[in-house]
Amino acid sequence: MIRNTRMKRISFVSTVVVAGAMLLSTVPANAADPGVTATEIKLGITSPKTGTVALSYGKLPGAMKAYFDYINANGGVNGRKITLVSRDDKYLPQQAATQTRNLVLSDKVFAIVGALGTATHTKAYVAAQLAKNNVPDLFVNTGFSGFDDKTKYPTTFLVLPSYAMEAKIISKLIADTPTLKPMPSFLIAQDDEFGKDGVKGFALAGHKFSDTPILYPAGSLSAAIAEGALAKINAAVPSYAKPVMVLMGTTDSTALILKAAEKLSLTSKFTWIAGSVGGDANTLLALGVKAATIDGIYAASFFPDAKDTTDQYVSQFMKINEKYNKGVTFDNVVLQAMNSAMLTVQALRAAGKNLTRAGLMKAIEDKGSTFASAGLAPLNYSATSRVGYNGYWFGQLNATGELKPVGGKVTLYTTDSATATAPVLSTYTRKPIPKNGIPTN
Amino acid sequence: MKTSTLKKSLVAITTAALVSVFAVAIPSSASAATTCVKDKLTVKGKVVSFQKCTGTDDRGSKYEIRMPAKFNGTMMLYSHGIRYPFALPALGLTYNDAPDIAPSTEVGEQLLAQGFALAGAGVEVQGWNLTEQVYATLNVNLAARMQFPAIDKVVAWGQSLGALSTQALAEQYPGIADAVGPLCLAESASAELTGFLDFIWGLKTFFDPTIKGSGYSSGAEGLKELQTDIGKAVAIFTFLSNEFTVNPLTPGWPTTATSATALISAGLPSRSALLMIGLMSGISTQSKSFDSSSGPVGPLETAFGGLLSPVLAVLENGSEAAVLGFIANYDLEVRAGGRFYDNTNTDYVARLGADAEIFTSALSGASKGLAGFGAFLNKLNPGAPRVKADPGALAKHNQLYQLQGKITVPTVTITALADHITPPGATQYLVDQYASSVSNGDSTKGLLVNIWNKPPDEYTTFTGQAPDKRTVAVNGVGHCNFTTSQYMAVAKLLAASAKSGKAPTAKTVSAAIKNDSNLFVDPNYRAPLLKYRQ
Repeated sequence: MIRNTRMKRISFVSTVVVAGAMLLSTVPANAADPGVTATEIKLGITSPKTGTVALSYGKLPGAMKAYFDYINANGGVNGRKITLVSRDDKYLPQQAATQTRNLVLSDKVFAIVGALGTATHTKAYVAAQLAKNNVPDLFVNTGFSGFDDKTKYPTTFLVLPSYAMEAKIISKLIADTPTLKPMPSFLIAQDDEFGKDGVKGFALAGHKFSDTPILYPAGSLSAAIAEGALAKINAAVPSYAKPVMVLMGTTDSTALILKAAEKLSLTSKFTWIAGSVGGDANTLLALGVKAATIDGIYAASFFPDAKDTTDQYVSQFMKINEKYNKGVTFDNVVLQAMNSAMLTVQALRAAGKNLTRAGLMKAIEDKGSTFASAGLAPLNYSATSRVGYNGYWFGQLNATGELKPVGGKVTLYTTDSATATAPVLSTYTRKPIPKNGIPTN
Repeated sequence: MKTSTLKKSLVAITTAALVSVFAVAIPSSASAATTCVKDKLTVKGKVVSFQKCTGTDDRGSKYEIRMPAKFNGTMMLYSHGIRYPFALPALGLTYNDAPDIAPSTEVGEQLLAQGFALAGAGVEVQGWNLTEQVYATLNVNLAARMQFPAIDKVVAWGQSLGALSTQALAEQYPGIADAVGPLCLAESASAELTGFLDFIWGLKTFFDPTIKGSGYSSGAEGLKELQTDIGKAVAIFTFLSNEFTVNPLTPGWPTTATSATALISAGLPSRSALLMIGLMSGISTQSKSFDSSSGPVGPLETAFGGLLSPVLAVLENGSEAAVLGFIANYDLEVRAGGRFYDNTNTDYVARLGADAEIFTSALSGASKGLAGFGAFLNKLNPGAPRVKADPGALAKHNQLYQLQGKITVPTVTITALADHITPPGATQYLVDQYASSVSNGDSTKGLLVNIWNKPPDEYTTFTGQAPDKRTVAVNGVGHCNFTTSQYMAVAKLLAASAKSGKAPTAKTVSAAIKNDSNLFVDPNYRAPLLKYRQ
């Protein structure tokens, strides 16, 4: 059972609806970098801990801390214990900027890990002068491909595949699926970097939708707008056709559109592709989408399923969660968080005992692609690439929210964000999890 | 969102806007001959005896000097901020040319009690009186030194426009001061006014094309035009305030918005238009009442903080900035002899920079909002006509002093990150100019220390679902809104530097501000420059 949750971006939609409506090489290694002592490595994270988005991603810092606590209980990293300072950004750009600056200036963290969101992190990165202060910005949880710009974001390392990659792989899914290929196809997407990245990906893949994509500003999608969009599309297609409806938006926006389809009795009219973000079944169900509606929706993932106890990573992370994150249900967010924490530990180890910010980033560039990880897609770090995972597999949700791989087995495609090169079938085999989940690299 | 939720916070914008910007300077109170009297006051229970000397220089600038009986050898030479260039009784504005000797009465008294002499000029003309203030300050310095030969060290400091004139004084007359303190530094006239006038042009273009905005007639007719413009701007702010109260997510447009019909037809809300105007002109999205970080507890929390709070902050800040912009522009047009503002080639969309990504949602989306505003603001759009400067006036305006960054004595700045009148980019420009000056060999390295003043992480408060309207800005927000202890910390650093000839070390500064969580020093911190410089 595999689900498709990913931590990319969330909009303000649900709340509005409820309302009714370095170049690192240029910086010399410095043994006196902040946040590192003989006994401690201090890391920082900003994420939504309160506010509406916390409902989805509030588990993120706690799960990372749980893994670090586990590592600390097993000797730490080169004798140093990891401290994670977690600050609440509410998924608001100003607050993300404020709290990231606090992490750097007040808490004097060594590095930022696992920050969430595009608009939030765009503002935070500049406000906290992460580049000028040479603060490593590790495993950012956004699919915006713009962060893979080493000139603009010299200290940033992405972890999620980009929205553009996802769009290219969706295009391939449609082209390779006989029941989808001949059908008219439509796109409803967020009118920001999420949607723009997606539109770019479809263009690169050469996929042409049957009509101009419908783009909505995050925060202003209402039931009426969603119903209007679906009704317009429905009126434009022949009755015999079962059009492909691609949704590139946050889970709450996706839920709104699916509920609009329910109201208009159009759920079975379309073949829905909700992608990696909007296809989070747990959240869709929690937001009131009927189980029957999600049954059959296509969604994407690059992870094993968080309930697949036969998966060695899932199994180990579950044990850690049970002991160090008591009372928190293990799910895809926890899996993602612990995986990023494990990547962080490997990066710290790879940087060696003489830990510096520049050394840490160099270690990821040099060795990051070899780190053990739960991801089923490869990591792509190098001296010229800050891209993390670069692939997806597709499945279909069933009525209980399980994501079943298309064709019965996981078939993962990898691609890039910038070229028209078609996605390729991945032959990547991930590394086994380190013994007891404790990296020894 | 309930229609009543914003009501409390959005009233009384207009009155506050008219008085708050100019309230920085404090009035206090001089012939070619300096007249001194003995005086005393009680500071924290201690009687402080001093001589109060007054006079008027040969240009007509009144000045005041206070010399404590227990003088420590250092004089604090203060330059006040901008004041109204004339009285406007219809708007309740009065003219003031009295000298100021310190940023506030309390700061002045504490310094006097600690043995510092105080001095400052009123300046014979007000408005953008940079040139006149430099001369007036030279004169009061001379008068003080003649009257009191015991003056050993001079710290020149000032705030806002007074900070600019202080820095201009130090750059043009090296040796006049032993240390310099530009507080909430104003940028050069071109940079400051471009920001204000872009905002006003935006108001005109989006909301009321009958606003003149610049190019005022001479004499009484021009003053009448100015007052009419201010009235129209206030009407817009009042309308938007009410509209944001009634319908915060999809507020309507005023009937005067006759050029923006395409935007209105496209369903773009006026809140996104106002945010666009604020972002393209560099108005802070944190204001006295709105932090862009808080929302009422409940389902609206994130939406309020992300979609509405930045817009409400622009409304609160912009209403004050616009009033200052109208009056300062009028004054500078009189000085230049015509219109100097020119936006014929401004690319307003490019000016957004990263804000286009950060505020995409609040701007109503990329393809609809950003693209719609971009098309509307295109310089080829006849519905949004650009303004061309009078070449002669522009040439004369450009002769006004520009920051050079030439620093030859210890200099300590203090700057708020959310000052909506003198944004932190002004200090950043000084930092950049100083770096260039050091590279050119015109300045000595290591003389400039910048203290940054950040707002509290969150400060918007709510009563139920309704945001509260603050009457007093929290520290870090608002114009030159420093606390007495912050002024005193800077004054002491400056005085020590004047004596040592060296800028305070990082350790010294850290110790001086260690108890103030709103202050920080980070050599790597970089504020965005004013839009004019970007």
